[in-house]
Amino acid sequence: MEKEASQLERDHVHNVYEKIAPYFNDIRYKAWPKVRQFLLDQEPGSLIADIGCGNGKYLHINKKSFTIGSDCCLPLVDLARNHGHEVQICSTLKLPYRNGCFDAILSIAVIHHFSTKERRIRALKEMARTLRVGGRIMIYVWAMEQKRRKFEKQDIFVPWNPEPPSQKASQYKLRKRPQNTFAADCSSSSDISQAYRKTKSTSSVGNDEVHTLYSSFEKSLKIWLFSRSLDSILELGGSSSSATTKRLNPFKNAGHLLNDTSRFELFKSNKASQLMEQVSNLFVLRQDSDEDVFSIEEFQNHRPSESIRSHLPKNDLGTKEKNKLLCGETCAKIALPDLVPHPDPLIREANTWNNPDCNMSICPDSKTGLLRDFEKLLKMESPSHEERVQDKNTKETKSEASLFRYYHVFKEGELQDLIETYVDELHVIQTYFDHANWCVVAEKIQVWKI
Amino acid sequence: MLLLSYLRMKLLTHNMLTSHVKGVTKGYPLLIKATEVKLTDVDFNSEFVSRMIPKIEWSVLVEAADTLGHLNDLPRDLPPDYESSEDFLRKVHHVLLEVEVLEGNLKCPESGREFPITKGVPNMLLNEDEV
Repeated sequence: MEKEASQLERDHVHNVYEKIAPYFNDIRYKAWPKVRQFLLDQEPGSLIADIGCGNGKYLHINKKSFTIGSDCCLPLVDLARNHGHEVQICSTLKLPYRNGCFDAILSIAVIHHFSTKERRIRALKEMARTLRVGGRIMIYVWAMEQKRRKFEKQDIFVPWNPEPPSQKASQYKLRKRPQNTFAADCSSSSDISQAYRKTKSTSSVGNDEVHTLYSSFEKSLKIWLFSRSLDSILELGGSSSSATTKRLNPFKNAGHLLNDTSRFELFKSNKASQLMEQVSNLFVLRQDSDEDVFSIEEFQNHRPSESIRSHLPKNDLGTKEKNKLLCGETCAKIALPDLVPHPDPLIREANTWNNPDCNMSICPDSKTGLLRDFEKLLKMESPSHEERVQDKNTKETKSEASLFRYYHVFKEGELQDLIETYVDELHVIQTYFDHANWCVVAEKIQVWKI
Repeated sequence: MLLLSYLRMKLLTHNMLTSHVKGVTKGYPLLIKATEVKLTDVDFNSEFVSRMIPKIEWSVLVEAADTLGHLNDLPRDLPPDYESSEDFLRKVHHVLLEVEVLEGNLKCPESGREFPITKGVPNMLLNEDEV
């Protein structure tokens, strides 16, 4: 569990931040007023720690105090350092600070990246350890309840939104650079995930060419869907945009053509779906734990959609396979956090990945034409389709799949409960909602152990 | 040269850092092995310094400054009326904030594990087996 949790965080928090770090320099970040105020309220000559400081945007605010930043992401720490701040590279779970040395601690948008409740508690306790008695900590975590969108689940993967199309070319180049610079990090993490991945991807799905066509079709669709906001998706499906609906019509039949290839094969061997497999493994392994939101019972009670039921093979699946199937299906929905089930059947069907049907024959030519037209519709700007298809480099595919950040979004009162139940040494003073985050300010108190 | 002054670890930071390798009970203080040290200029603020002094481990600061060869005439024992002595406060200010380690490493006193300092940034990340 621990290993899976830290692997998930490595792939979908640390690695993503490493790749997207350059963007944090460009974007102008304003310190949130309440955080700024918390910092300025500290007495002159205070020692403050910003744990998970990112690019260091909070480190300069209080000039009368000494603020030390820490983060586990090297590129972000480099950015902070270049602005002249004191920073360390370390993990929040193992802070390299002695006990009770800080007067105040900031933890802004950090704890929601820990994938288990146990790790979140450990992070809180570790930060409390380094706080002196009477010192205060301010914690911000992403809220599940938001004004403009609804998260369906608490454990989600949020795509990193690419820049508008005109800048896509340079963005791609930028993206490539971090990969080369930190090749050492990348290769070691992909080695780990290579070992971690199920190695049964020796599927023989007939024609290789068709296989890659389908996988890029999926990828294209996935990327297109993921990179749009809730509003534009609904607009696309709505009556207000009849032109786009008309353009989508030719592809209404594409759905069943996708079923030609055995879904199991695609699920296992498609590199882009390793994400789903990883996630499903993580959650399947959790079935005995009462820790988190997901449970196998949820999946078993989940009614598969029409298309699944009609296409499930007659022979019985093993329970584990079945669970993975359902898990994968539900997780596919989870990976689109902003979306409620889409009204358009094509897109909804494309979302459900589990349509195995081995019987129908495959005709490559018609697929190529279809794919070309579809891509015209999607206006794919980033590396040309041919490049992507031919590129067998796992790093390339991994970078697409791994530009999803894992979040555990918090329900109202959850953070407060966590502290009050598990972290005796912290006493909650204040809680509020700010900028789509739940916030808690707590004070370190002396705990007497008899 | 101005750019270089941004890349450093101050002795004030070092004063807080400890080794957290599994099983280590006495990971503080870390021994500094510096290969590159720079002096920089920081505005002196007496209130800041006198408030900071109670928060640091004095003997560790003295030892660290000594290791780097910048002890000068800083007393090994904290004088009782340090707040009123500007001269003393200035000396502390210098050692706390103006002596910076650019390259080197921090060594755990118990396990011997070395944490590298690169361009002034200590890398305190542990490997899987050390956690």
